[in-house]
Amino acid sequence: MDHPTITAITNDALNLDALIAQVTLPSTGAAVVFSGIVRGVTAGGDAHETSYLEYEAYQPMAEKKLRQVAEEIRSRWPSVEGIAIVQRIGRLYPQTPTVLIVCTAAHRDTGVFEAARYGIDRLKEIVPVWKKEVSPNGEFWVEGDYIPRSGE
Amino acid sequence: MKVKILFFASLSDYTGMKNIEMEVPEGITVEKLKEILTEKFPRMATAQKSIMTAVNREYADGEQKIPMDAEIAFFPPVSGG
Repeated sequence: MDHPTITAITNDALNLDALIAQVTLPSTGAAVVFSGIVRGVTAGGDAHETSYLEYEAYQPMAEKKLRQVAEEIRSRWPSVEGIAIVQRIGRLYPQTPTVLIVCTAAHRDTGVFEAARYGIDRLKEIVPVWKKEVSPNGEFWVEGDYIPRSGE
Repeated sequence: MKVKILFFASLSDYTGMKNIEMEVPEGITVEKLKEILTEKFPRMATAQKSIMTAVNREYADGEQKIPMDAEIAFFPPVSGG
């Protein structure tokens, strides 16, 4: 059976149940999900409140790079069955899911946890999406620290 | 030759625009184009070290020559998720 791969940049609310259903095969026995959430209250040294995040994407390149992340997962974890990677953009308020990564496999001990972890880590390295943090004290663009190589 | 240039996130704030079409010399490199743009938009200098470049939707380094009718994008390190 074909292994489904779903990647998207969307302005719409994320639907976890529908996404899991799309990457679940008759042979699937495990689905690992990662979801990023807008954090309204940040503790620690950088303690602050967040009113909302404004996400922006270089859409055609972001879609291409999402597909690349999915291909990289497939080549590293051949036992993974379905892959879904969906990034929501636009204005997102605290406690709202911003991204969903779903990897499915026959069993949980197939590397499927690591595959989902790789998906979110890699998305944060190479997929051209940015978020502006807006707080009661002002706003600033959040910048990552990964510098992709030419052609990466 | 004509190229299409896109700016995202802080780079769009620094230049005050989302995109621009520009006439540039044939065979120009990414680095040279960045210099020309920094003269035009001096605020780009504040981000100089962390400006990423994509040529035709693929990450590019400074030495890369820009092909005809290319779509060039300048942006800060990504922060999705």
